Amino acid sequence: MKKNACILRLTDVSKTFGEMNVLNSVNIEIKAGNIVGVVGPSGGGKSTLLRCIQGLESIDSGKIEKYGRTGFMFQDFQLFPHMTVLRNLTFAPLVRSIAYTSELGITDKREAKNYIENEAMQLLRTLWIDHKASAYPSSLSGGQKQRVALARSLMMKPNILLCDEPTSGLDQTTSAEVASLLNKVNTDSGITILIASHDREFLKLVSNTIIPIGTAGDGTSPGHSTT
Amino acid sequence: MIDLLKGIKYVGSGVTLTLELLTGAFIIGFVLGGIFSIARRTRVGRPIVSGIVSVLRGTPVLLQLSVIFFTSASLTGIKLSILSAGIVTFGINSAAYVSEIFRSGIESLPRGQFEACQTLEIPRYHTWLRIILPQVFLNTLPSLINEMVALLKETAVVGMIGGMDITRSAQALAAEHYEYFIPLCIAGSYYYVLVMIIEWIGRKIEKKRVYT
Ligand SMILES: Nc1ncnc2c1ncn2[C@@H]1O[C@H](COP(=O)(O)OP(=O)(O)OP(=O)(O)O)[C@@H](O)[C@H]1O
Ligand SMILES: [Mg+2]
Repeated sequence: MKKNACILRLTDVSKTFGEMNVLNSVNIEIKAGNIVGVVGPSGGGKSTLLRCIQGLESIDSGKIEKYGRTGFMFQDFQLFPHMTVLRNLTFAPLVRSIAYTSELGITDKREAKNYIENEAMQLLRTLWIDHKASAYPSSLSGGQKQRVALARSLMMKPNILLCDEPTSGLDQTTSAEVASLLNKVNTDSGITILIASHDREFLKLVSNTIIPIGTAGDGTSPGHSTT
Repeated sequence: MIDLLKGIKYVGSGVTLTLELLTGAFIIGFVLGGIFSIARRTRVGRPIVSGIVSVLRGTPVLLQLSVIFFTSASLTGIKLSILSAGIVTFGINSAAYVSEIFRSGIESLPRGQFEACQTLEIPRYHTWLRIILPQVFLNTLPSLINEMVALLKETAVVGMIGGMDITRSAQALAAEHYEYFIPLCIAGSYYYVLVMIIEWIGRKIEKKRVYT
C-alpha cells in the first residue's frame, strides 16, 4: 500500500439503534500508514464506528470504502479460552491454510503448519510474549492478553488494524507499552491503525491525528475529518 | 429368604441392558441435541425443532417408547428389537433436553466469540465445531451429567416392553420369591453405584478443563 494513498473512506455514514442516532453522517478519510485516534465520550459511538468499518454492524446509510484487509482488536480481547496462546494465533490461519499459504506457494499441509507456527512464534517474540505461547488466556494479565489479541489480529496480515479501547483496564506503564508496540507494528509493517479510545493521553502518545466523535452535544453535527 | 449373592448376580444380569441403553441413548441424545441446538438458530429450523422438542418434553417417555416399539413395524416395515427401540426412544427424548442445555450454553457464550471468528474469517463449520461447541460442552458439563443421570433412571421404562434391565430383573426376582424388599434394594444399589461412577467421570473431565 502506497503511503498517503487513501486506505479508508467513510462518506456520510449513519447508524441508528432503534430511536438512537449513534453515528450521524460521519465523514472520515484515512491515509495509508497513519495512526489515527477516535475519541469521544462513553456511548459516543466509537465502538459502533469501528464495528461498522469491520462489517460487524450494518450501516443505515452512507458508504464505507476500504482499500485493504481489516484486522480487529476487541475491547475485551475475545481470545479463545480453551486454546493456548499459540493456538489462538494459528487456529484461523490453519483452518484457512489453503487461502493463507497459496500466495506463498506452499501447498503441503505440514509445511503450511510449520510456516504458520513459525510466523506466530516470531510475532509473539516481537511482542515479548513468546514465553506464554503454551499458556491459556485465563492465566495472562491484562497487558499480556492485549498483546496476544494484537498478535492474533496481526496474523490476518491486515492493512488496517482497528483497535477498540486497547488500553482499557491497563495501568499507565502498560498503556505506554501498548502505545510503543502499536508504533512499532506501524513502523515495521506500515499497517494503518485506527484506535478508538477515551484515553486522550494514550492517543497523544500513538496517533498523528485525533478525530472527535459523538462530542458536539448529542453528536448531531457531522464530523468532517481528513487525515 | 433370597440368597443375597444369588440375588445380586440375578439383578446384575440386567446391568448390561441398562448400560447399553444408557450409552446408546446418550450418544444419540448428545449428537442430535447438538444438531437441534444449531438448527434452532436457523429460520427454517427454529419452528420445526421447537415443535419436536415441545412434543418430546410434553408426552410421557413410556408412550414414546410404546409408539416406537409397537408401531415401527407397521409404519416403516422395520421391526425394532427392544434394545434398539429403547436406544432410539431414550436417545431422541434425551436430545430434547440436551438441546435445551446446549441452547442456554450457546446463548450465555459472549457474542464476541462469534464475532472474533467472523473477523478472523474462520469458516462457519470450524466456528461451531472448534470454537463454540467445545466451550459450550465444558460450560454445560454439570447439566449434561445431570441429564445422563436422569437418562439412566429413565431407562427403567424399558421393562414395560419386556426389556430385562436392572429394574425388571429385580421385579422378576421379587415375583419369584414373593419378597420385594431385598431385590429392590439390590436394584437401587446398582443404580446408585452407576450414578456415582457417572458423576466421578464428570468430575474427571471437569478437572481437565484448564481454563476458567
Ligand atoms: N447492538 C446495540 N443495540 C442497541 N444499542 C446499541 C448497540 N450497540 C451500541 N448501542 C448504543 O449505541 C451507543 C454507542 O455505543 P458505543 O459502544 O459505540 O459507544 P462507545 O463510544 O464505544 O462507548 P464506550 O466508551 O463506553 O465504549 C450507546 O448508547 C449504546 O448503548
Ligand atoms: Mg466502546
